[in-house]
Amino acid sequence: MAYEEVVVKKPLLLRILPFVSVGVFLLLWEWVVVSGIVPSVLLAPPSKVFTLFIDKLSEPNPDGAVLAVHAWTSLQEAFIGYGLSLLVGIPLGLAMGWFKIVEGLARPVFELIRPIPPIAWIPLTVFWFGIGLTGKVFIIWIAGIVPCVINSYVGVRMTQPTLIQMARTYGATDWQIFRQLCIPSALPMVFGALQIALAYCWTNLVGAELLAADTGLGYLITMGGRLGRPDIVVLGMVSVGISGAILGFIIDCLEKKLLAGIRR
Amino acid sequence: MSTQASEDKIRVINLTKRFGDLTVLDGIAFTVRAKELVAIVGPTGCGKTTFLHTLSKLMPATDGRILIDGEEADPRRHNISYVFQEPTCLPWRTVRENVAYGMEIKGVPHQERMERTDRIMDLVGLSSCADLYPNQVSASMLQRIAVSRAFAVEPDLLLMDEPYGQLDVKLRYYLEDELVNLWRKLQSTVLFVTHNIEEAVYIAERILVLSNKPTRIKAEIPVDIPRPRNFLDPKFMDIRHQVTELIRWW
Repeated sequence: MAYEEVVVKKPLLLRILPFVSVGVFLLLWEWVVVSGIVPSVLLAPPSKVFTLFIDKLSEPNPDGAVLAVHAWTSLQEAFIGYGLSLLVGIPLGLAMGWFKIVEGLARPVFELIRPIPPIAWIPLTVFWFGIGLTGKVFIIWIAGIVPCVINSYVGVRMTQPTLIQMARTYGATDWQIFRQLCIPSALPMVFGALQIALAYCWTNLVGAELLAADTGLGYLITMGGRLGRPDIVVLGMVSVGISGAILGFIIDCLEKKLLAGIRR
Repeated sequence: MSTQASEDKIRVINLTKRFGDLTVLDGIAFTVRAKELVAIVGPTGCGKTTFLHTLSKLMPATDGRILIDGEEADPRRHNISYVFQEPTCLPWRTVRENVAYGMEIKGVPHQERMERTDRIMDLVGLSSCADLYPNQVSASMLQRIAVSRAFAVEPDLLLMDEPYGQLDVKLRYYLEDELVNLWRKLQSTVLFVTHNIEEAVYIAERILVLSNKPTRIKAEIPVDIPRPRNFLDPKFMDIRHQVTELIRWW
């Protein structure tokens, strides 16, 4: 029996709507600065940010590196931190959801650490790791691990109880139930965590780069501030925004691919 | 041991379950012969689900014993199957993989597992949708998957908790026939709990009638009507009447 996919085409209006909203936003922004409502020492208009963007592709001054180098540094830090938070957070959360011993051991510590904002770790991080890559990765790791643990934990907890009873009557072991029922049940929540953790990691990037850095998008923003150059600040912010959105989009595609495999 | 006792597959002795002060099961005792299909009926809220949960060892009994082939029942050692009221299919497995799931836990070798899966899916007409996922088949199909999975492990004891309770009447007749057919071909020992008296008389070889809480076995009625059974057969109607009288609370 074939399972046919039904393709529904979105009407034209709905397809152009996103472009319209971005366009209107940029025009308003440009107008607000050019007309003088907001003085140009406080905010740079998009046209100026765009020309700076073109310049910064090849011009390392005044902050010491071209845009690609900043972006690459940030991506490296974010990805190592993100990867580590998935690697530790997801198994930990899954195990906490099913094994009472793991929950009893890990939950109290986790609940205590969870409310501490990641940037509060900066001073300790400097003591421990100095000001290199490791420290920044640590901050980002702390930020990303929280949603991974919570989502995986909740995902396992939402396993349908009758499924567990069914497996028990067949004589399944705890480990079998965990592997064959709880983990697949938790997958949609775990994939949700991929997105949330990425957002957490990326937003804490700037915080992590406050930790003495010499490249990185966060550093670009801080430098723009020190130099009194709103155009550099805005360029840094826009770069963080756009690259974050691109990453989010990539993870979203991956998630759809993977979830299609378990078809729910 | 008498010959009768040696034929007993399941022996339940003084099964008692209390929740604090509330006695739900009060010294239930009965035996089931090998390859017998026994229906259990009782008034609503008489603790049928508790009864099945203790029998299947999902819930510890307060007192009493459940013996399968003379040994204390144990889901790891014995083949116990349980068909729940609601469908229990794993949404990430295909229909075929769902039917095979019980055997997988039991550690049935791959080759044999595939053969038994194919055979049973043929019997219940699931073959055509073997590779679909549960969200692509109808509600009655879901319950047939659960029933097939339960029979496939060749259970020592197959417990069914009103598996067809939520389906419409016509489909029920059809599935009841299918169940009787499966049971005769695969020769399993089945305990079928229902609140539908007609269903009980239609499928069972023997009916155990439960009392109100604290639940005991109130009566035992053999159903020696040849199959296929007819709802309008005077004997059928007579037994149905007897059972109805036993559980009426109005």
